[in-house]
Amino acid sequence: MNGVHRSSSWHRRRRDALAGFAFTAPAMLHTLVFMLVPAGAALYFSFTEWDMISPAHWVGLRNYQEILFDSDLYPDFWKSVRVTALYALLSVPASLVTGFVQAYLIDLLRRGQSLYRLVFYLPVITAEAAVAAIWKWLYDPQFGLINAGLEVLGGTGPDWLGTPGVVIPALALIAAWQSGTAMLIFLAGLKGIPRTYYEAAEVDGANRWQQLGRITLPLLRPTTFYLVVTGVIAALQVFGIVYVLFGGNAGPERSGLSYVLHLYLFGYRNGAMGAASAMSVLLFVTVLLVTAAQFRLVPQQYEE
Amino acid sequence: MSAAKTVDTAPAVGTAPSADLGTRTSGRRRRRRHDAPIALLATAHVLLIGGVVVALAPFVWMVATSFKQPQDVFTPTPNLLPTDARTGQWAGTFANYLQVLDLGGFAVALLNSVIVVVVLIPGKLLLDALAAYAFARIPFPGRDALFLVVLATIMVPGVALLIPKVFVTQELGMGDSLAGVIVPSLVSAFDIFLLRQFFLTLPGDLEEAAMIDGAGRLRIFWSVALPLAKPALAVVTITSFIFHWNELLWPLVILSDQDRYTLPLALQALAAGRVAQPHLVMAGAVIAVMPVIGIFLVFQRRILDGIQLTGLKS
Repeated sequence: MNGVHRSSSWHRRRRDALAGFAFTAPAMLHTLVFMLVPAGAALYFSFTEWDMISPAHWVGLRNYQEILFDSDLYPDFWKSVRVTALYALLSVPASLVTGFVQAYLIDLLRRGQSLYRLVFYLPVITAEAAVAAIWKWLYDPQFGLINAGLEVLGGTGPDWLGTPGVVIPALALIAAWQSGTAMLIFLAGLKGIPRTYYEAAEVDGANRWQQLGRITLPLLRPTTFYLVVTGVIAALQVFGIVYVLFGGNAGPERSGLSYVLHLYLFGYRNGAMGAASAMSVLLFVTVLLVTAAQFRLVPQQYEE
Repeated sequence: MSAAKTVDTAPAVGTAPSADLGTRTSGRRRRRRHDAPIALLATAHVLLIGGVVVALAPFVWMVATSFKQPQDVFTPTPNLLPTDARTGQWAGTFANYLQVLDLGGFAVALLNSVIVVVVLIPGKLLLDALAAYAFARIPFPGRDALFLVVLATIMVPGVALLIPKVFVTQELGMGDSLAGVIVPSLVSAFDIFLLRQFFLTLPGDLEEAAMIDGAGRLRIFWSVALPLAKPALAVVTITSFIFHWNELLWPLVILSDQDRYTLPLALQALAAGRVAQPHLVMAGAVIAVMPVIGIFLVFQRRILDGIQLTGLKS
């Protein structure tokens, strides 16, 4: 009896092992071919001179050295770093603040919550290429809706996408328009705060602003932290919007030259794939470091 | 790129124990009746309606421009209706759409985009669900290590692997083809993770019963687990559709022949034209955006609740 049982369970284990391998094999093979091999290749090619046509030629750390320190060969590298950092610095708070205000107001409502939620999410599901095309036309200095609206209010708008200092703030405005993700996640966070906290605060005579400052915002810290981390990671990789807005020129005085646009132009226009691979590795390391730094520096939990 | 879908699990937001739910809602209602005064509610509505106007104005502007005749596009005062610039008469036209579909290559691009999602999404659902089911329900040696590898790939920023991925795809003979757009996205680590979390919550009894009836794992997967996973599969389907329909970067680097362009690429090419033709570009944008907005409006509750729960960010 015992032996029969053991042998049947042995059979079952063997069959499970086979099934497990068979079920995961396609996904694991795909991961190997399209993730692990490219990850290794990115690292390898970053140490080579390579144009994707003739064989790669090993140059050691030269790519890294030249990208970081040789401003004759890579005149725009640090420019692209500054552009991207400024974009992250402006666009992430812009979309988080907008998203929070939207979520806070929606959460107050008795009805109509899902309708507002729906409308504010529409800009998020809109294709980057379309977002850029629409905003290029909205920002048109002469015929665009935005400057015309400002004129009605008595002001004059700048040439948004034609003035170097205005380009990144203009991009941050688009990010604020696309605040739907932050709005949704904040809304989930707000709904997770136990109502008893507010009731206790009311008993103590705290007004709405005090409740916001002492209860809501501190308790939303994990939510905010999550949104900052994912927002910064996404902002560091911004590409589609600047590419469609500016193409290979990257805007006036290259003010829209994001890191990935720079990488793309180097790799695909100049055929410098080795250097572009090195830039990819640098981006990967930066993303990891930024994430790690945020985890270390920002208090994630509210300590009572 | 599949991994550019920078996604992660939300920290424990909104995870009050469900037993608490009843008291919470009633407490909430009480609080509202008690202290959300009409004035505050009215203010909130007014501000939110202002927000709605700002959120929707770009779409209105896009649609209006797309129906305008070329001579009515560049007016000193912007016009939210396609009327004749001089007479103010209705002058809406479909001509921009026809021109974009034909000469702008949007008809071909639309077809290409449809082919991509119609092939990619079922294939991806099957591969991701198979793996997710095994990771969740089948004990086999090395399972946790393999799953860890999958999880680790979620952390890699998509663009970091762009160049070698193009290289691998070209080496496999799929450069400049729709296959090259589809195949590299056939597996998504995040979707495997999401589906695995769902399969973990399924009760084991159904599987046990099916196994006693002599059903194999494949049969259980297909006729027991998959039907139960419909809500999770729906979320993956819709978010994947939105993501891949909108995707620009990967098709841009893998395709060069205009006849293989997907909609975002065709739109990008049109918008990059030397002569500003907003009426045509906006018609193209409407064509690119409408299917996603349509799907979104139909499934909005499911999508928004799903995103709210998982912290999925597309």
